[in-house]
Amino acid sequence: MSNDLSLSFNTSPHLRSKNTVQQAMYDVIIALLPISAVAVYIFGINAVFTIAVSLVAATLTDLVFRKILGRWNTPFDGSALVTGLLIALTFTVEASWWTLVIANVIGIGIAKELMGGIGYNLFNPALFGRVSGILFAGLFFNQVNTTFAPLSYQAGPVDVVTQATPLALLKMGAEMPPMAQMFVANQGGGLAEVSPLALLIGGVYLFVRGHIKWHIPVSIIGTVLVIGLIFAGPELAVYHILAGGLMIGALFMATDWVSSPVTPKGMIIFGVAIGILIMVFRLALSPTEGTAFAILIMNAFVPMIDRLTKRPVFGEAPAKAQAQAVSAETAGKPA
Amino acid sequence: MSVKTFNRGLFLPHYKESTEDKAIANIALPGEVVIPLQQHIGAPCKAVVSVGDKVKIGQKIGDSEAFVSAAVFASVDGTVTAIEPRSNFTGADVESVVIEVAEKQEEPSWSDRDISNMSGDDIRAAIKEAGIVGMGGAAFPTNVKLSPPKPVDVVIINASECEPFLTCDHRVMVEMAEELVLGAKLIAKAVDAQQLIFGVETNKPDGIEAIKAQIEGEEGIEVAVTDVKYPQGAEKQLIYAATGREVPPGKLPLEVGVVVQNVGTAVAVYEACRFGKPLYERVLTVSGDAAANPGNVKVPIGTTIEHIIEQCGGFKDGKEPGKVVLGGPMTGFAQTRLDVPVVKGTSGILLFSEEMLVMSEHMPCVRCSRCVDHCPMYLYPNSISMNAEKGLYDQAAEWGAMDCFECGICVYVCPSNRPIVQLVRDTKKAQAAK
Repeated sequence: MSNDLSLSFNTSPHLRSKNTVQQAMYDVIIALLPISAVAVYIFGINAVFTIAVSLVAATLTDLVFRKILGRWNTPFDGSALVTGLLIALTFTVEASWWTLVIANVIGIGIAKELMGGIGYNLFNPALFGRVSGILFAGLFFNQVNTTFAPLSYQAGPVDVVTQATPLALLKMGAEMPPMAQMFVANQGGGLAEVSPLALLIGGVYLFVRGHIKWHIPVSIIGTVLVIGLIFAGPELAVYHILAGGLMIGALFMATDWVSSPVTPKGMIIFGVAIGILIMVFRLALSPTEGTAFAILIMNAFVPMIDRLTKRPVFGEAPAKAQAQAVSAETAGKPA
Repeated sequence: MSVKTFNRGLFLPHYKESTEDKAIANIALPGEVVIPLQQHIGAPCKAVVSVGDKVKIGQKIGDSEAFVSAAVFASVDGTVTAIEPRSNFTGADVESVVIEVAEKQEEPSWSDRDISNMSGDDIRAAIKEAGIVGMGGAAFPTNVKLSPPKPVDVVIINASECEPFLTCDHRVMVEMAEELVLGAKLIAKAVDAQQLIFGVETNKPDGIEAIKAQIEGEEGIEVAVTDVKYPQGAEKQLIYAATGREVPPGKLPLEVGVVVQNVGTAVAVYEACRFGKPLYERVLTVSGDAAANPGNVKVPIGTTIEHIIEQCGGFKDGKEPGKVVLGGPMTGFAQTRLDVPVVKGTSGILLFSEEMLVMSEHMPCVRCSRCVDHCPMYLYPNSISMNAEKGLYDQAAEWGAMDCFECGICVYVCPSNRPIVQLVRDTKKAQAAK
């Protein structure tokens, strides 16, 4: 025994937990399996096709941008797969394959990698990609579809095209599907809109695994419920929670680590603001994209929320209180 | 029994099972000891012996005129063979006295004084004469800490031992409870405190019982049983748990009328006051998953860790460890060589296998907020590390870097394996240089 051992040297601490970003990302994918399964059950091969296209586009975008930006050697963290899956789930099975590709290229390539890579994105990459994809599709749909006509592909017949989504029904004041059906499995809207129950199971899994806290989902859903009760009545208030992208937004998008606040207080402010925005969009403006825009808008306020909710250092609050008490005491005394 | 605690922090796997029931053992003397002339915070000592001198165990070999300093003593009978810079546990070269251990060691003879009549000044003088420093790791001279410029009403004996693996304080509590309590009373007397509290975590039930048996029926002395949570042994967190008082940022415990002393220090104070015995030996824990025979040993100050590891059976299965740490696994120092000596503040020698170490590259902060959730000082390790990484030290300081005491929880929980504590140190250095 002597000094020629090759001992590893670094500064304290020398113990680590088993937490890794990669593990967390795989847990998010696991949490998204129930909703993916219900979507496939309802939409069949078309849902499989939508998810597959998005995952391939996400992986390729990740690889290409890593190569271009010289991040080839950074560890594979699984975050691109999560974004790809989330993007797929926000679309309907009618979405063309190139819309999904655009959503992934913009979400992962621009909103994340060009912003500096994982950890540096201000906006949620999946939502940013989705909204961009929708915009592009709306602007260039005919043109692109003609250009790519020979390449357009649907795995199976699409039979849900004409059905209005529950969210649109809600806006029109039309008759809603039964509440229990909407909660468990209901056809209509995007892949993630088919089963609030399946999303809830995934959310609870993430909560139990310690990856998300309750504050953001509860404050978003709670705010939507309260505003719904006031302006739409008890029954429609519940439909507002079950319909559209609210559940996937509250449980999976707004809780994204990078683009949400770090303290419970900040999370509640963030969640309540998102809830208010969602209901403003839904009740006063368009029924679609409300949740996505609400979250993206609040993403931009996260640095400010973190700053405004900064908590005092241990020992600071009592010291201040004492100083105030002393100054109040001396102020009360006659000179 | 109500269990006390502080806010935030984290339960850590404590890995104490392999040594917590092992009695403190003596080991064979080494061939030579290397005694650094600075083992404490404050002014270094100057050697008061020369090369070739014969020295006796307990003989003063280094001293300083400065108030904030602590004398050092020969830990064996022997001959001074060199006075030269030697590498210490931080990797720095420190002037050290090298003593060749004599083959025949004489039994030291101590006085036996009546400690019941000692005044505060007597106690402080005895402590100074014995070169006692805080033995929990910080190694601040004890007589200085017991000369408070403000009134103190509470003395807390820190028996938390919240660092994983370490059990030396636990064993001292169990085996030397009487000496511990007598020493603690002397400390309370020295600062004229009315209340004496022993802070012990619930994972040391036999330690709690041993202390309770000593203080039964006494007024003003109690055991504060605390939750097993890291860092319960940090001064501010222990004071909060035991008394509810919060030490303001940047202030010492004195600010709220409290003095905290470690278990080993209290025993050393008792031995110094009663027997006039200087601090030349200490109990430490040898453990870790690469240690062949983990245990608690009493060793002369200046013994090299190489000798102690050998005496404890060496490396498990003869396999070289991946890392050797002096102190606890959360705040201790990794070593690059094994000929460094044990000093007054060394609480453990930990041998870790390669498997125990996480050597993966660190990634950007993903703002998961785990560090924010667990920081016992309520800081923002995420923002500190992001700013310090870019050299934005003013911003890092704004998010609390200067109030960090480097417990390491943030790094422990970080899924991106970020070197947050190192970035805090960089920030402190940059701010101090301004």
